[in-house]
Amino acid sequence: MAALAVSPTRMELLKLRQRVGLAQRGHDLLKEKMDALVIEFFEVLRRIQEARMKALEQLSVAHRALSMCFAIVGTLETKQASKETRRELQVEISTRHIMGIAVPAVEVREVERNALVRGYGLHMTSSVLDEASREFERALKLLIELAELEGSAFALARELEKTKRRVNALEYILIPRLKEALKFIMMRLDEMERENFSRLKRIKAMLEERG
Amino acid sequence: MSADRLIKLELSKLNVHLPERRPSLREALSSARPQVVARDGSTHAFKREELEFLAGLLPEADRDKLQLPILIALEPKLGRGTARISGEAEVKVVSQVLEKEASAGELLIYRPEVAILRKKLPTTTQYLFLW
Amino acid sequence: MGFKIAVVGDQDTVTGFALAGATYTHIYTTKEEALAKLGEFLASDEIGLVLITHRIVEELGYEFRRMMRAKRLLPLVLRISDKTGYVSKVDELREIIKRTVGAEIMVKREGS
Repeated sequence: MAALAVSPTRMELLKLRQRVGLAQRGHDLLKEKMDALVIEFFEVLRRIQEARMKALEQLSVAHRALSMCFAIVGTLETKQASKETRRELQVEISTRHIMGIAVPAVEVREVERNALVRGYGLHMTSSVLDEASREFERALKLLIELAELEGSAFALARELEKTKRRVNALEYILIPRLKEALKFIMMRLDEMERENFSRLKRIKAMLEERG
Repeated sequence: MSADRLIKLELSKLNVHLPERRPSLREALSSARPQVVARDGSTHAFKREELEFLAGLLPEADRDKLQLPILIALEPKLGRGTARISGEAEVKVVSQVLEKEASAGELLIYRPEVAILRKKLPTTTQYLFLW
Repeated sequence: MGFKIAVVGDQDTVTGFALAGATYTHIYTTKEEALAKLGEFLASDEIGLVLITHRIVEELGYEFRRMMRAKRLLPLVLRISDKTGYVSKVDELREIIKRTVGAEIMVKREGS
């Protein structure tokens, strides 16, 4: 570890003490922030697990309905319907802040539509097609919610990573260096004091001899 | 050395997510869109169901006293992971949510309790970093 | 703001989500095409959410991860299972935790 270049003066000692205090304070607070981020992160993670299970389950229900549709309506006809249907679904996305970190906030309006709104040609109307559409709409709604949570988790994780790096830099680099420098100055000052003291003693002895 | 400036910058950023002014529970309840503006300019919205949950925990008269968001003050000198809740009404609701013995005007809570509090009141509580 | 939805997947996945109202779709054929299309989706200001199957993400490999690191907050990209229910064994979020705060966090989690 490279030593800090410092001159051994009382002034420098005072300044260094202040710097150690600041670095220590920064370290302690960032560590608290890290702990808080961890709490937030794990709460999001818990909700992700729930949401993921629900969404994936619904997605497999949707795929089963689609297979049924392929079998009964026909693969080509189903694909055709998927091209003709209205595909203008919108999600409202804004940002929310958790401890100053921007995370996505998604508003899901009603995703489920009725057959008329879906808009595929009426000649195609079929209850299995409707059912496949409805199940995918439901899956989509759940996936949108999941996407918000995962987006939040990634944003929190990135901040966590950043904070951890800062804490480490303080803990393993800056603070030890400052303390090293502090020790060096105190030693030098002590030494200088001792030298001073013995010089004074010598002078005193010399004066006494003459006297 | 710029390391010091960097630390000061980090410290100055710790609380920018907090609002300049904290409205009372009564104000929040009567607002069509209950929210606050943080010092960094972002808005923070309160969920109505949370506001109503809080109202249910407090006698009518205390609705003017409870200020939102409730601050979870993290203070290294209390020991790592220890947080302080201040204010009479704030202490009243938090101690009920956590099923803790209420003390007068101040309550110390610990990391697992902070987690529970954040889970039950995600929009009406926020962290405050103190030193 | 209102955003549209895009899907990158196999024929079944794309057909299903198109039926549900997704605006943009791409059916996977080659890695190069899929990467180009995904790049397009990510650059679009109109799209708020991109769904992509785990299987395709694995095909795209390193380039996909690079694109995720470089992207803005939006569009959100969500990996989904396909008809067979296939999901990657690698959980991206767990990887991040291990990498960033590692054991310390895991221990803390058991504790709380």
